Amino acid sequence: MNTESVESLPESMTLWQDAWRRLRRRRLAMVCLAVVGLYTLAAMYGECVYWWYRLHDETPPYKRVNLAEQYQPPSFLRSPFGGRETGRMSSLERFLHGLKALGHHPLGTDGLGRDVLQRVIQGTRIAYQVGIVTSLIAIPIGVVLGCLAGYFGGRVDDFIVWLYSTFACIPGLLFILAIAMVVGKGLLGVYLGIGLTMWVGLCRLIRGEVIKHKERPYVTAARALGLGHFRIIFRHILPNVFHVVIVTFTLRFPYAIGTEVIMSFLGIGVQGEPSWGIMISNARLRLWHGVWWEMAAATAAIFGIVLAFNLLGDALRDALDPRLRTGR
Amino acid sequence: MKAPATQWWRLVAPAGLLLCGLTCTGCGGTRRLDTGAASGEMVMYGATARIRGFDPVKAGDVASAMAISKIYEGLLQYSYLVRPYRVEPLLADGMPEVSADGLVYTFHIRPGIYFQDDPCFTNTAGRGRELTAADFVYSIKRVADAKNASTGYWAFRNRIVGLDEFRKASQGQESTDYDLPVEGLRALDRYTLQIKLVEPYPQLLWVLTMQYAFAVPREAVEYYGESFLNHPVGTGPYVLKAWRRNYRVEFERNPKWSETGRKETYPREGAAGDAAAGLLEDAGRPVPFIDRIVQFVVSDDSTRWLMFLTGEFSTSGISRDNWDAVITESRKLDRKLEEMGIVLAKTPTLSIYYLGFNMDDPVVGGNRKLRQAMTCAFNTEEWIHFYNDRIKRPTGPIPPGVAGYEERPALFPYDLERARRLLAEAGYPGGRDPRTGRRLELTLDLGQAQSPEMRQSTELFADFMTRIGIVIKPSYNNWPTFLGKLERRQVQMYRLGWVADYPDAENFLQLFYGPNSSPGPNHSNYSNPEFDRLYERARVMPDCPERTRLYARMARMIEEDCPWIFTSIPLDYVLRHSWLRNYKPHDFPYGMVKYLRIDAAARRAWKMRFGG
Repeated sequence: MNTESVESLPESMTLWQDAWRRLRRRRLAMVCLAVVGLYTLAAMYGECVYWWYRLHDETPPYKRVNLAEQYQPPSFLRSPFGGRETGRMSSLERFLHGLKALGHHPLGTDGLGRDVLQRVIQGTRIAYQVGIVTSLIAIPIGVVLGCLAGYFGGRVDDFIVWLYSTFACIPGLLFILAIAMVVGKGLLGVYLGIGLTMWVGLCRLIRGEVIKHKERPYVTAARALGLGHFRIIFRHILPNVFHVVIVTFTLRFPYAIGTEVIMSFLGIGVQGEPSWGIMISNARLRLWHGVWWEMAAATAAIFGIVLAFNLLGDALRDALDPRLRTGR
Repeated sequence: MKAPATQWWRLVAPAGLLLCGLTCTGCGGTRRLDTGAASGEMVMYGATARIRGFDPVKAGDVASAMAISKIYEGLLQYSYLVRPYRVEPLLADGMPEVSADGLVYTFHIRPGIYFQDDPCFTNTAGRGRELTAADFVYSIKRVADAKNASTGYWAFRNRIVGLDEFRKASQGQESTDYDLPVEGLRALDRYTLQIKLVEPYPQLLWVLTMQYAFAVPREAVEYYGESFLNHPVGTGPYVLKAWRRNYRVEFERNPKWSETGRKETYPREGAAGDAAAGLLEDAGRPVPFIDRIVQFVVSDDSTRWLMFLTGEFSTSGISRDNWDAVITESRKLDRKLEEMGIVLAKTPTLSIYYLGFNMDDPVVGGNRKLRQAMTCAFNTEEWIHFYNDRIKRPTGPIPPGVAGYEERPALFPYDLERARRLLAEAGYPGGRDPRTGRRLELTLDLGQAQSPEMRQSTELFADFMTRIGIVIKPSYNNWPTFLGKLERRQVQMYRLGWVADYPDAENFLQLFYGPNSSPGPNHSNYSNPEFDRLYERARVMPDCPERTRLYARMARMIEEDCPWIFTSIPLDYVLRHSWLRNYKPHDFPYGMVKYLRIDAAARRAWKMRFGG
């Protein structure tokens, strides 16, 4: 009986299905999604490389120094053997050799002869780690505090609003630097520094949404049925405001990456691992000699991911926000 | 003197680097600093590393020592031009009378030397009073006072009769009694100072040129208490006008000099070639020439370089990344820069940079073979290549040019096979720790995390070590935290440099003397009774062939034990604009700023032609 009635109703799409449908119609958003997917793959590949070498207790290739190959410009057709041996090769060997040459420092090398491409990929890994971990810190804080403030109002609301106002009025980067200084240099400082400051915006948005929702009939009904406060908040209201979390996550992810880059550039971020910020900091001094590729690679990587996430976030907001829905 | 490990080009030529002129001629739309062209004042702008404070007892780092030497003075100073280095009287009236046994030094203090005016002189309503012999007695006692935790007590420890007892007495809870007499340190009358030594100490004359022996007025210390660090009151050519920590410091000509008619003059005597180089043009003229010195903490290499190129700074070092563009293959200055009137000065330096092991550490301290293996794995050639041939590899703790240095091959030169063999003998075959089955991991502590060159060279060193299977984990700190960790012996390995305090091998060898362990200057906490015995013997000997032989023997012991991996001796390349006059590279440039002069007309002409 149920199956039949559901099939007969063409509009019975969930919010998410509907959003996906809307998103798919926008070509630019889909391109961005693909770009984000590529970055994600790169980050996962980087993670695998990192753990492979870590478990085998070996030095990963992106850290191996080779001063004989320092400052090589980008090239897709460079022989790893210096081109001396090719004359005596069979055609199969020559073909394999050509394949190898394709992958030999396509984006050039840095001042210690390390492959820029591999370091950019490792930078992606670090960027993703930072984006994800800081979100894992910030989202629970923002969501829980926002829900509590919006739902209970009164003193609880006053306190939480006071708390996030206080956080919001401290200049962001300074606050992050202070936290990182207290915790110490390294990824932990970056995670905590960004995570503990990023929840403010989300908290404010969630609080507003919850205030709006708590007067809705479904909440009144739930209350009339005698459900507990927390069940109402987390089982009934939260799923209805969760799109805010998704959109905020998408927009805050590149912000976290950018902040990590700034911190690493200043020397208080990632230590001992390649990060885009460190690459830019290293490349900066040689820039005026025309050694542009390390800087360009890291900058392009940041540009690509930040742009993709921002456009995607905008599209997501359009797709998920009912107020923007037209008759289509 | 401790120096940050990679930025040595800045440190070994601090005189040059601290004197960089910004100019306002030809102002475009940007705001420039006022060089005083309008008022006829000669002003220099420049860069400095972070200054910790202005208390001579804490002059443990180059930047602070440079700043302190502008304000305070000692009995003696290095002569500016003469080589080999020599001391000459400054606040003393002539060289001291030394007794036949070399134990009693009598100094006559110059009358008519006044401290700058300061509210601390309550008896004279803020007017600076005259310097007396008692000021030196007080100042040296301050270095000995345990409560001051001076970085310079090593210079006087076990040297002056009764001073160690004074130190002991100062260790209690109650405040130190400075009226407690010290037998070896007495003001015989207002202008006569007598120093009695426990044993002959031929280095005393060098030591008395250092900041630790500078004259500090007791009134200022008592008046300012804790904040005396920020309120220097001296007799020197300059006074502190303004100081914003880690940002800007300003010095101004000491008005007391003209008020009391004090006259210091530019030296009349120089080394061979100085006259031809124009260094004696100002001979006999009163110093200082420059009226005001303003320095900023500029920690970015490329910013500093561009400011030099646009003529705002008058001198510059050459960073690794600029090297190719500045110096040609034949080690000459690039033609374009030469056309701009930029002058290159090349000098060897009395300094050594190294990677130290903490001998208190259970892993590296007790395992000599491990340290030897790591020394063998250090690829000198690649290191020199990385630094663009701006360095030499030292073989031992004594740099060339100092008695005791031996021209011979190193005991543990780069040899990977030998390194692997030694590592296996040390108990880590292939670098693996048999207890964990994983590669041996060592932590390397560094200051100055923000410098890319520091980071890259450390990564290079880490790579040398991975070639024999050792993993180096760098731990970056800021400079004060790093020094704190060293003093508390909380490091396993560390990276540091030593710039000589005086041109005597004893100054390098004392870094391995057991009783000098952290918080003293022996940060490796190296302790070897045989070495200590030889050191104690050599340090009381006057300069003679036997002492040189002892020095060489001690250097060999250190090389054998490898408490340090000796990484580099910097070759000093300093660039300056032609309008900076009287500049001569000096290993001990403290207080020498008074001899420098800026040719304002030449600078204006240069700015018209090349300036931005």
